[in-house]
Amino acid sequence: MRRDALLVALLTFGTCTAAEPAEGWALRPVKRPEVPKGTANPVDAFVLARLEKEGLKPAPPADPRTLLRRVSFDLTGLPPSPEAIDAFAKNPTDAAYARIVDDLLASPQYGERWARHWLDVARYGESDGFERNAPRPHAWHYRDWVVRALNADMPYDRFAKMQIAGDVLHPNDPDGVKATGFLVAGIHNTVLGANKIANETARQDELEDVIATIGQTFLGLTVQCARCHDHKFDPVSQADYYRLAAALGGVNHGDRAVTSPAAEATRKKLTAESAEVAGRIAAIEAAARDRVRAKTAGEKRPAMANSPIARWAFTRDAADENGKLTGELVGGAKVERGRLILDGKGHVRTAPLAADLTAKTLEVWAVVPDLTHRGGGLMTVETGTGTEFDSVVFGERQPGKWMAGSEFYRRTLDLKATAETVSDKLIHLAIVYAADGSIAVYRDGQPYGERHTPKDSGLRTYKAGDARVLFGLRHTGGGNAHFRGEIEEARLYDRALSATEMAASAAAGPDATGVSDAAVIAELTPTEKTERDGLLVRKKDLAAKLAAVPGPEQVFATVSKTPPPTHILARGNIEKKRQVVIAGGVECVPGDPKFGLKAEAPDADRRVKLAEWIARPDNPLFARVIVNRLWQQHFGVGLVDTPSDFGANGGKPSHPELFDWLAAELIEQKFRLKAIHRQIVLSATYRQGSRRDSTAAKIDADNRLLWRKTPTRLDAEAVRDAILDVSGRMDRTVGGPPFHDVKTYGDSGTTFYQPIDEPKTGTLRRTLYRFSPRGERSAVLETFDCPDPSAQTPRRQVTTTPLQALALWNDKFVLDSADRLAERVTADCRKAGSTDTAALVGRTYRLTLGRDPHADERKPSEALAEKHGLPALARVLFNSTEFVLVE
Amino acid sequence: MLPFDASRRDFFSWSARGLGAAALLHLLGRDAPAAGVKPHFEPKAKRVIHVCLIGGLSHVDSFDPKPELGKKHGQSLNSKETPDIFFGQVGRLRQADWTFKSRGKSGLPVSDLFPHLAERADDLTVIRSMTADSANHTPAFYLQNSGFQFSGFPSVGAWASYGLGAEADDLPAYVVLPDPRGLPNGGAATWGSGFLPGEHQGVVFGTGDKPVRDLFPAAKVSKEAEADGRELLRLLNERHRDRSGDDPLPAARLRAYELAAKMQLSVPAVADLSKETADTSKLYGLDDTTTAPFGRNCLLARRLLERGVRFVQLFSGGPIAGSPRVSWDAHEDVTANHTAEAARIDRPVAGMLADLKQRGLMKDTLVLFTTEFGRTPFAQSAADQVGAGRDHNKYGFSVWLAGAGLKPGIAYGSTDDIGWKAAENPVAWHDFHATLLHLLGLDHEKLTHYHNGIHRRLTNVHGEVIRGILA
Repeated sequence: MRRDALLVALLTFGTCTAAEPAEGWALRPVKRPEVPKGTANPVDAFVLARLEKEGLKPAPPADPRTLLRRVSFDLTGLPPSPEAIDAFAKNPTDAAYARIVDDLLASPQYGERWARHWLDVARYGESDGFERNAPRPHAWHYRDWVVRALNADMPYDRFAKMQIAGDVLHPNDPDGVKATGFLVAGIHNTVLGANKIANETARQDELEDVIATIGQTFLGLTVQCARCHDHKFDPVSQADYYRLAAALGGVNHGDRAVTSPAAEATRKKLTAESAEVAGRIAAIEAAARDRVRAKTAGEKRPAMANSPIARWAFTRDAADENGKLTGELVGGAKVERGRLILDGKGHVRTAPLAADLTAKTLEVWAVVPDLTHRGGGLMTVETGTGTEFDSVVFGERQPGKWMAGSEFYRRTLDLKATAETVSDKLIHLAIVYAADGSIAVYRDGQPYGERHTPKDSGLRTYKAGDARVLFGLRHTGGGNAHFRGEIEEARLYDRALSATEMAASAAAGPDATGVSDAAVIAELTPTEKTERDGLLVRKKDLAAKLAAVPGPEQVFATVSKTPPPTHILARGNIEKKRQVVIAGGVECVPGDPKFGLKAEAPDADRRVKLAEWIARPDNPLFARVIVNRLWQQHFGVGLVDTPSDFGANGGKPSHPELFDWLAAELIEQKFRLKAIHRQIVLSATYRQGSRRDSTAAKIDADNRLLWRKTPTRLDAEAVRDAILDVSGRMDRTVGGPPFHDVKTYGDSGTTFYQPIDEPKTGTLRRTLYRFSPRGERSAVLETFDCPDPSAQTPRRQVTTTPLQALALWNDKFVLDSADRLAERVTADCRKAGSTDTAALVGRTYRLTLGRDPHADERKPSEALAEKHGLPALARVLFNSTEFVLVE
Repeated sequence: MLPFDASRRDFFSWSARGLGAAALLHLLGRDAPAAGVKPHFEPKAKRVIHVCLIGGLSHVDSFDPKPELGKKHGQSLNSKETPDIFFGQVGRLRQADWTFKSRGKSGLPVSDLFPHLAERADDLTVIRSMTADSANHTPAFYLQNSGFQFSGFPSVGAWASYGLGAEADDLPAYVVLPDPRGLPNGGAATWGSGFLPGEHQGVVFGTGDKPVRDLFPAAKVSKEAEADGRELLRLLNERHRDRSGDDPLPAARLRAYELAAKMQLSVPAVADLSKETADTSKLYGLDDTTTAPFGRNCLLARRLLERGVRFVQLFSGGPIAGSPRVSWDAHEDVTANHTAEAARIDRPVAGMLADLKQRGLMKDTLVLFTTEFGRTPFAQSAADQVGAGRDHNKYGFSVWLAGAGLKPGIAYGSTDDIGWKAAENPVAWHDFHATLLHLLGLDHEKLTHYHNGIHRRLTNVHGEVIRGILA
């Protein structure tokens, strides 16, 4: 193998091969063509003109039942009720149909259905992928935003801009942040090794995913092919690619805290009030404490002179007595006897730091009952992702010895010190991280091992709003990282304590305030006591009010960081940096590719300019690509059959003029998608029958010219939703956190997802709301071609396999649903007055297939129901081709 | 291939490109799909067993003897380079923990780490000059398994299924047997079909009476109800097919249900190891609690191949970051880790090779024994120490193949004196994959699938067949 090829193999996410030169039809301006005369709906006019040219005729119109079933599944992903079919069959007029279409487009289920299509394109998944594959519990905000935006018929240009730069364009709207979940919906490697080049390459790979997704989603261009070389088939240069890389260089994966402005104002007011009350209580107590101290002056107890920024006494909970770093008990961690009890599974995680933390001291009093314990962290400061940390660690590298733990041991030294021997009483431990980068470990106030200054890693700064403190866990995501034992008290300082201070603190011991709460309360005068009691009531009341304010929500979205300089990389190689490029667009796309930015422009400006450059009415790709996606979902195949590739490798439009007319119409309609849906589904082309005509098939086997409506198989989600719906067990709750039909379990730092059969509460919702990690899916979803969300899926596969048959025939979900459907049918029939077999069978058919049994089906169906029960028939009908097919 | 063809093929059930294809294609009245139906040229191998070692096998301790490393034990690497290894600690050079001996007639050296495999040395074709593009487990593993460092790309088994189809219509073409101790990182994404049609996805065979999920009803259904239900379903689906004007999908669905019924018989039959003789069971190590778990998988693999499965992938190793480790990832202690891991698989793999040979299967079967990267010749420890563990080594490592179309009993390529970097005839995974497809009769440049703007290949735009190992 060639050496250079080897190198490119390393760096290339995808590469491109094809046989034809670029034609560039997609880059020509959108011009509204003249509509052929003779037909009211322009869609039909163009389609008919083309059919006539080939000597073909459209199929006769579909019957009302077929049409209603078709349009219901298309617009909402759900079947129509038998009653709705009856009503339409009685009055199958154009006006009635138009009303039905309007109702479907206005229903909340429209957004749920079409969000699914969009999320396929956005490669939306709810876990990171790669080695750890950690779940993203806050990713669903993006999914809900898509549903809401589609239901509100948000103009598509705004829809696009929001997803690229919503956080910048709408800083006071939480939706602005949520929409940017699009950019980071793809895979993200959180396991990085010690090698800088490898890590920078991984970052380039990640950017390629974002660039590829933007290019294909909004422009139908495979710009990612130009990472290592100019695009071989489309007019996209390497410079184009790196201009986009510069535009997106500040995009990072992560959670963002999002608050609504109103809630923020309320919180500020309540917090200020609360602080005022707390201050008054503290003043009363301080006075009393001073009096106690004065009385007991002879006893001489040192006060806590070192003033930590946070102190956890673990008296009742994991509250921070000094600041805002209150901890949350996770796993089996509990507070008892004034101590934090850690069983080797649980830990405490605090709120994010309020201020950046650089120089620091971690101090903790603990009991280590098991001296053979390895690798647990007592007290840790870590970044929000847990990938970087400093920690007081026991026995990880050397049995029984303390060490300053850090990611990849970057700031860790195997200390020349004696192994721990005390297992039955409190030990005082501290690590001092000084501004000069040196690290010193102390035990009971005395230096433990040698002070050292790491060579490869300087002092770390932990960022406010991101980093946090842990107790009992070395770092999030670490293997073998939990501590077993007890913590009496812990303190965090934003400076390096001196050796003298350290010795004094150890000597003073925990609870160094020196005066117990009980002694203070006993000292209060009756007036003070009354006032304090009143204030305590107010404090409690304010706390309750604060708790009720919708808190900052964690949202998995684009985390904006200062982009590093972007270089063109020769052959995509991070070690071959060429000239610096400035954020900009792709030259071949009509419009100015220059954004007018400086090389050091902030991330916010870059993304706004990119968003504006993409979503312009005079960008012909922008309108064409989305119109084609809509057409594809209505007809199974787009006017161009390669929905994310309008380049030379992609398909050509089957109806170029119709295509341009629709794109022009979308722009004219101010990018309202529902107008285009309406245009399409009201056409006679869409409403024609689906029967295959062997003569026409000889001329146009794939029906690209639309001489009939090609039947489409329901996708995986629609199969599951339809079964839930007709069996009367669907929970129609819209939005919110996902339901889980997988068991999520950690094994050695990695998260695994195992499908489970037993539906728990809340799992009977639409499949859109299913927690969708990268990895396993249920048998029904997987065999019906629900993709792993690792890559974009602009067009689903449609396969038919024995495993699919086994899943639909045997899966617990289907069998349970058959039972529920039978119960529902029986109840319905009882209400209607007849529960004889014919009535039961008829109702089962009408609910599942939307029709009565045909004459030749009735008898065997009744026989099966009588012999084996109605669920047996329900199971058969769920498995019937007619149920999973939309004709 | 054109996208039109791709969409048309999507309708076919999984046997459409195997030997069962003829009947179905006739049924559908369609031409054979443009590519993938039959090999591009005469294949040497018809089926594959892929033993996948998770975590990184130390080549200098197993298949790549380095006397020079023994001499330099305790010396420093003396390199100015900052190597791309995972933890970044470059300790002193560390000699092999096992003794190498020349084995069999060929004299191919294999260390005492694998005493049973060593006896099969004359069957092995060792590549000692493998290179990987990442020293990070999951990207390196994905690269080995799919040619790309990311999830979402079809695995080699899926490509084999796509290119060749199944020989049997009642078993999937690609079967996966995970380590009983746990799934590899990535779980099902590891054997996914990526953008290839879902029928090419690996199907996990477990143990017990339901080796494949949803093989039988999840609730109790009487035999008669089952048969009557199927009969009515067939009737409804036939009527529907007749009404629909002979569309392909209704016909394919009818066929899928027939095959599903056949699978209910064939899957339990193939998974039932009780009919194997005591000698055979012993050969695979089923008589020993250490070797039995992997031995069962090896024996099942042979049975699957005999019944027409194309590609069986066996994993040795579970999740990567375990403590204690359940993979070959010997950061802490190579001796302890590799001794324990090798003890689980040495006898079963050797037994499987012997069994395939005695049954005459070896002549058109390929056995692959691979790992995502090797381990460093220097210890993972402080710079002045010879620690007990070794870090990841992407620069050079060993894998072996055995069976059809190969020169047996040879070692191809080499690493440098100490076993750090590939020296002679470096082999990238794309070359390995190109060679694998070549042995299956497939041209790696012609086996493509259009996805999202790109004609995708297992070998991306790279890959050269390793002629030097071909018979």
